[in-house]
Amino acid sequence: MQPVAQLVDQGVRAYVEGRLEDARRLLDEAMRRDPGNARARSYAILLHGGVPGPETPPTHVPEPGPGPGRGQDAPAAPILPAAPSPRAPLPSPASAPEAPALTPAPFEVTLDDGEYAPSPWDDGPAAASTIVLEAEGGMDLGAVADKSDLRSLVPEAPAAPPVAQGVAPRVPPGQRDVEVWMAAAKDLHALGDFSGSLEMIEKILKLDPEHGEARDYLRQNEATLVAMYESKLGPLGRIPRLAIKPEEVMWLNLDHRAGFLLSQVDGTVDYESLFALSGLPRLDTARILATLISDGVIAS
Amino acid sequence: MSDLDLDPVIGIDLGTTNSVVATVRDGVPRVIPSRTGQLLTPSIVAVARNGKELVGNLAKRQAITNAENTVYAAKRLIGRRWGSREVEDARRVLPYELVAGPDGNDVRVKQAGKVVTIPELSALVLAELKADAEAWFGRPVTRAVVTVPAYFNDGQRQATKDAGRIAGLDVLRIINEPTSAALAYGFGKQIEKKVVVFDLGGGTFDVSILDIGKSVFDVVAVGGDTYLGGEDFDRRIMDWLTFTFAKENGGVDLRQDKMALQRLKDASEKAKVELSSLPAADIHLPFLASGGDGKQALHLTKQLTREKLEEITKDLVDRCIAVTEKTLNDAGVRPSQVGEVILVGGMTRMPRVQRAVKEYFQREPCRGVHPDEVVALGAAIQAQALTSPAQPGSDVLLLDVTPQNLGLMVVGGYFQTVIPRNTTVPTSQTHLFTTVQDNQTSVRIAVLQGEKERAIDNELLGEFILAGIRPARRGEVSIEVAFDISADGIVGVSARDVDTGQHQSITVTATSGLTEAELKRIMDERVDDLLARKQSSVEFQQARQRATAAMREIEALVPAVQAALERSRFGKDAVQKAEGVMARVRQAIDARDAAELSASEEALDRTLQLFKGLAGQGARPPGGG
Repeated sequence: MQPVAQLVDQGVRAYVEGRLEDARRLLDEAMRRDPGNARARSYAILLHGGVPGPETPPTHVPEPGPGPGRGQDAPAAPILPAAPSPRAPLPSPASAPEAPALTPAPFEVTLDDGEYAPSPWDDGPAAASTIVLEAEGGMDLGAVADKSDLRSLVPEAPAAPPVAQGVAPRVPPGQRDVEVWMAAAKDLHALGDFSGSLEMIEKILKLDPEHGEARDYLRQNEATLVAMYESKLGPLGRIPRLAIKPEEVMWLNLDHRAGFLLSQVDGTVDYESLFALSGLPRLDTARILATLISDGVIAS
Repeated sequence: MSDLDLDPVIGIDLGTTNSVVATVRDGVPRVIPSRTGQLLTPSIVAVARNGKELVGNLAKRQAITNAENTVYAAKRLIGRRWGSREVEDARRVLPYELVAGPDGNDVRVKQAGKVVTIPELSALVLAELKADAEAWFGRPVTRAVVTVPAYFNDGQRQATKDAGRIAGLDVLRIINEPTSAALAYGFGKQIEKKVVVFDLGGGTFDVSILDIGKSVFDVVAVGGDTYLGGEDFDRRIMDWLTFTFAKENGGVDLRQDKMALQRLKDASEKAKVELSSLPAADIHLPFLASGGDGKQALHLTKQLTREKLEEITKDLVDRCIAVTEKTLNDAGVRPSQVGEVILVGGMTRMPRVQRAVKEYFQREPCRGVHPDEVVALGAAIQAQALTSPAQPGSDVLLLDVTPQNLGLMVVGGYFQTVIPRNTTVPTSQTHLFTTVQDNQTSVRIAVLQGEKERAIDNELLGEFILAGIRPARRGEVSIEVAFDISADGIVGVSARDVDTGQHQSITVTATSGLTEAELKRIMDERVDDLLARKQSSVEFQQARQRATAAMREIEALVPAVQAALERSRFGKDAVQKAEGVMARVRQAIDARDAAELSASEEALDRTLQLFKGLAGQGARPPGGG
């Protein structure tokens, strides 16, 4: 049986790659086994718009903050995009950048009696929405997104050209992804999942290395994570030593970077020096050392 | 007066790969271990990715993963001119960036975005050794003798002196490495013989032939290969490991992975050292490389035998012997004329090297001196002789001599020696020259230093034009050129038309490429850094002393406290808690963790006060108030 952490990792990977069904399945399984797993929970919230899990139907969407809630100003019978596929996400509006990136589940949901299905208008003011219908009667998803608070979950194909010239500004490819990821990063940060938030931020910075807000969140996430991991190390002037027999090292499950760092732990070098000579970013070094300590491989 | 009453003085072997510091105590020369207990300090300076300045072992341990900001073998560059053959050679092999100095003359290093002079980098190594010595002596050390290769010219020697000044050392004298080795070898003995110093270090190989007689050490010939040393042997092991690993793991090329290479390098060097005393060495590197596609990381487990090592490095040993043979041939010395062969450098511990030397010279090489330490020990002996002539073992005082020939460029582009190498300074010499063309009215005087026949192959120290020469047929005019070297090594050269009295002169001061103003600026910058280090070191020492005294008091009070606790219902675990506090303090002291020590001091003090109180109760007579 796969460990929960591995399930969560695979779920997050599936989520990031846009395989939402897989992500939901994996994260649900992780939540079933470990209902308190914060990381699985935070991603599941993103996927389901509520606390997921086989026992908990994703019908409740947490309050998104300021703005009208569901059942107040929102239409009673929301118009959902007809059977949206996970590959057809909607972009986020530029008008409400502070709203959390909570999206309705883009797949079938189980409804409790008296509950409404998650709606694109749940998270933002729906009254002002103007839906432009295409000639064939289809919906201009871009227009919906601009007026609602819908967020895409996955990288999407380049936006379709606007219906009429001048109606909507041309958005550079990737920009919408960036907005969605940014919102997700903020949500994850608020939920205390700094690793998840960092993952999102790194994706943004790959596309847009100068993204100011992403850089701010990068710094915040990194600083928080480094502080968290370093607190597990204790004073950085301490000298860590191997806590297992050298011949037992072979039986550990390490990657080559952890292997490198472990090879530098020889009883003469303190933590601060390990940071200096690891050649890895401080966060990675702190994370590896904290893991080695919690696994009982090294001690100081 | 004992050594303890004297200001300490040290000898430093500032090597290309490793450096060593030594001193003489109670008449016995000995190496000073580093604060971490090692006898050798890698001559490596780095700025780590997190901005921390690393010197020595720590710098070495990240030399491959952070190659562009790790400066090693700075000695190859010290005192060299930008554009010289040596600098061009170095640029081809060094992974860090070299740039020209502001005047385009000297060479500098770009490290972590900052341009640093070579003496500054060497100074960091010297400062590390100085700090080790200070920790060992327990008081400041300001005076040192530093060794350099015999072929170093005045500029290189001056640059080494400048490095000493930047590090806060008064360099009493610069002496030649082979001389220093011979000095250590001849310490306490009176020998008169021809000695060959076979110095196979980490990065360079030097062969020197010395004539030693009645405390005179004359370096009569030097040869070598500046790109042959222990690191070449390490690389052969690395190549062998890389190749076999690729063969066994579907072609995984470890050369593409810097972390793997760093571990390979460290393991190769370790195996090589082990093989000097053992027939085989196990190399075991778990989780060395990524398995790819989420697979488990790959391990390397190999055994290297001495036989295999000798096989893969045979050509390197052969090269050493070929260079030795050429040097002896050039000097007109037969192996049978050599009275002693001194092995220097860690690589000469390799049994195959020792066998090759023995086969060539047909005699056992000298094993009385530690090859890694011998040069530093000689420098320490010389430092002792300079500062305490009355102390035992101070009978061999080296004189300051010119390291290379000094002379002029003459017709045809040749070099004419005026003052030969090994001339004791101060000295002066005069030579007569004449004109090369009819009615020649001016002459160019180019002052050179070196050993090469062609002027261009030697170091140009300075030049000037002597004008106003009497017009005459070629060869009829006499021009007198006088060289004068002061005790401070300042060279004055003057040229005079003997008939007209017309004269011109130049003064050449050996320069490292740094101006005095630049040197002062660097020293000022370093002072703050050194003071900060010293301050933190002093504070730690004081905290340690306080903690040790408090622990001693607590330990002394334990019996009384235990007696008091027997009569009490409370505080049964007081002794156990105190032991916990003291264990934390001891750990902080061992780790030199000033922050932790300071944090534990309060707990220690509380424990002491508690114990004093409890012991006071215990001391009271039963039933007493």
